[in-house]
Amino acid sequence: MTGDERKDLVQKFAALFSLVVLIVAFSLTSDAFFSLGNAMTVSLQTTSIAFLGIGVTVVILTGGIDLSVGSVLALSGTVAGLLVKAGWPVYAGMGVGVLVGTLCGIINGLVVTRLKLAPFIATLGMMMIARGVALQLTGAAPVSQLGEAFGELGNGAFFRMLEKGANGLPHMIFPGIPYPVVLMVLMAIVVAFILRRLSIGRHVYAVGSNEEASRLAGVNVNGTKMFAYATSGFLAGVTGIILMSRLVTAQPNEGVMYELDAIAAAVIGGTSLMGGVGTISGTMIGAFVIGILRNGLNMNGVSSFIQQIIIGCVIIGTVYVDHLRNRR
Amino acid sequence: MNALSPVVEMNNIVKRFGGIHAVEDVSLNLYPGEVVGVLGHNGAGKSCLMKILSGAMAYDSGEIKIQGNAVEMSSPIDARHCGIETIYQTLALADHLNAPANLFLGRELKTRFGMLDDRKMEEETRKALRSLNPNFRNITEAVMNMSGGQRQVIAIARAIYFNARIVIMDEPTAALGPSETAMVAELIEKLREKGIGIFLISHDMDDVCELCDRIVVMKNGRKVGEHKVEDVNKDDILSLIIKGELPDNWAPRSRMSA
Ligand SMILES: Nc1ncnc2c1ncn2[C@@H]1O[C@H](COP(=O)(O)OP(=O)(O)O)[C@@H](O)[C@H]1O
Ligand SMILES: [Mg+2]
Repeated sequence: MTGDERKDLVQKFAALFSLVVLIVAFSLTSDAFFSLGNAMTVSLQTTSIAFLGIGVTVVILTGGIDLSVGSVLALSGTVAGLLVKAGWPVYAGMGVGVLVGTLCGIINGLVVTRLKLAPFIATLGMMMIARGVALQLTGAAPVSQLGEAFGELGNGAFFRMLEKGANGLPHMIFPGIPYPVVLMVLMAIVVAFILRRLSIGRHVYAVGSNEEASRLAGVNVNGTKMFAYATSGFLAGVTGIILMSRLVTAQPNEGVMYELDAIAAAVIGGTSLMGGVGTISGTMIGAFVIGILRNGLNMNGVSSFIQQIIIGCVIIGTVYVDHLRNRR
Repeated sequence: MNALSPVVEMNNIVKRFGGIHAVEDVSLNLYPGEVVGVLGHNGAGKSCLMKILSGAMAYDSGEIKIQGNAVEMSSPIDARHCGIETIYQTLALADHLNAPANLFLGRELKTRFGMLDDRKMEEETRKALRSLNPNFRNITEAVMNMSGGQRQVIAIARAIYFNARIVIMDEPTAALGPSETAMVAELIEKLREKGIGIFLISHDMDDVCELCDRIVVMKNGRKVGEHKVEDVNKDDILSLIIKGELPDNWAPRSRMSA
C-alpha cells in the first residue's frame, strides 16, 4: 500500500469511526434510535444528501463547485409535478423533470467552459435562476393532488411486509427497503465505477489535479468538465423528483441550502475542495454522518436551532481537517 | 548535414503577448536523426517556440510543415498525430495521479470492455521507467510524493514510450543528478540512431556541445544564430547568447582547424 492510499484510508476510517461513535451515542441516549425501522428512515432521509453529494463530488474533483443543486432539484421536481398535474403520465413527467435538471447542469458546464466564468459564480447564478423559474412557474404555491402514482417512487419499498392485524388494519412486519435507498446505492456504485474504471473518470481527477497538464496530455478538459456538471445536474433532477414524490406535492421552496449539505458531505468524506482528491464511498459516509446527526438529534429532542449550531461546527471541523491535509 | 528532407520546417513563426514579442519571425528546420540545441537567455522565447510546435500554444502567423506537409498545429493532439512528443519544462504531470496514470494520461490503455486496464498500464510503466532508471520504485505512488528526478524521469518516459518521430526536450535534465543526466545523454544517442529528430533546450554548454549536431541561438524572440556545432566554440555561443552576434573576426572553427 502506498503512502497516499494509506492517508486516504486513514481519512476514511476517521469518518467511519465518527459515524460509529454517533450511532453508539444515539443508541444510548434514545431507545427508538437503534431499530430496523429507524435505520430505514435514516437511510431514506440521507438519500437526498447522498444523491446531491455524489454529483457535487464529481464537480469538486474537477476543481469546480456546484452551488445550484438545491435550486435545480426544486425546478426539476416542480416541472415534473406540473406536467403530471397537466395530465402527463407519471414516468414521462418525472423523466422530463430529470432532463430539466441535466439541462441546468449542462448550462452550468457551458458557462464554466465557454464563458470561462468561475464555477462559484456560474452556479451561484444558476442557483438563483432555477429557484426563480420554479417559483414563477408555480406562482410560489405548492402543486398538490398529484395522485397516488406520483408518490410511488418516493414512498414505495421493496420487500415491504404487511400483516392483517386482529382489528382488520394492516400491521407492518418489515418496513421494506425504500426505492430511493435502492436507487441511492445504485447511483453510488455507477458513479464510483465511472470514476475508477473508465477514462472519463481518470480525466476528472486529472483535470482537478492539474488542468494545464491534462490539456497538454490531450485530455478533453472542457468535455470532462461538461460531464461533471451534467452529472451533478442529473442527480439534482433525480433528487427533485424523489423528494416531491415523497411529499406527493411539488414544492418550489424545497431544497433550500441543500447544496451546502451536499458539499459538507463531500468534504467530510475526504474530498478536497482544491480538486483531484476524493471518493464516492467517502461522500456516502459523509452523507450518513449528516443524516444520522440530524435524525439522532431529533430523537433526543434537540431543537432545530441547536442542530444547526452542531452541524455548523461539524462542517468547520471537517473543513479544517481538509485544510490540514492540504497544507503540508 | 544529410541529404534527407527535413521532418520539421517552421517558417516565419510569430508569437506576441500584447507588446511582448515572444517569438519574432523565426524559421527553423529539423532533419531525421538530428539533434538541434536551442539556446538563449531566460525569456528569449525558446519555450514558446517549442510549445508552438507541440500544439500547446497558438501562434499569430507562420507556417509549420511536418515531413513536407503543411499542418494546423492547433492542439497537443494535432502534434501527437504528427509524431511529436514533448518533455515540457514544467513536466506537466498531474500531481495527485500515480506514474502509470500520468504516463498514459489522455491515451489510457483499455480492456476489451472499454475499461481502464490498470494492470497493463502499470506493467508497461514499470518497464519504461526501469529502462531509464533501474532503481525506480513506488510506481503506484502519487507523483506529488516523488523526487524532482523521479518526476522528470516520468515525463521523459512519457515522451519516448509512444514511438515519436520528433522529440522536444525543454530542459530535460534540470532536476536530474549526474547519473541520470548521463542516462539522458545516452537516451538521446539511442533516439538519434533510430532516426528521431530532437530539439534540445538546455543551459548546460557541455551537454549541448557534446550532444547536438547544430545549435540555434535565440535572443528577444529572434533567431540570432544557427551553426553546425563544429563551427563554433563555447565562447562563440556565449557571445551569441549575450550580445546576439558572433565575436568580431569569427570564422567557422572547423575550417580554421582544418
Ligand atoms: N503565457 C504567457 N503570457 C504572457 N507572456 C508570456 C507567456 N509565456 C511566455 N511569455 C513571455 O514570452 C517571452 C518568452 O518566454 P519563454 O519562451 O518562456 O522563454 P524561455 O523559455 O526562452 O526562457 C518572455 O518574455 C515571457 O515573459
Ligand atoms: Mg523556458
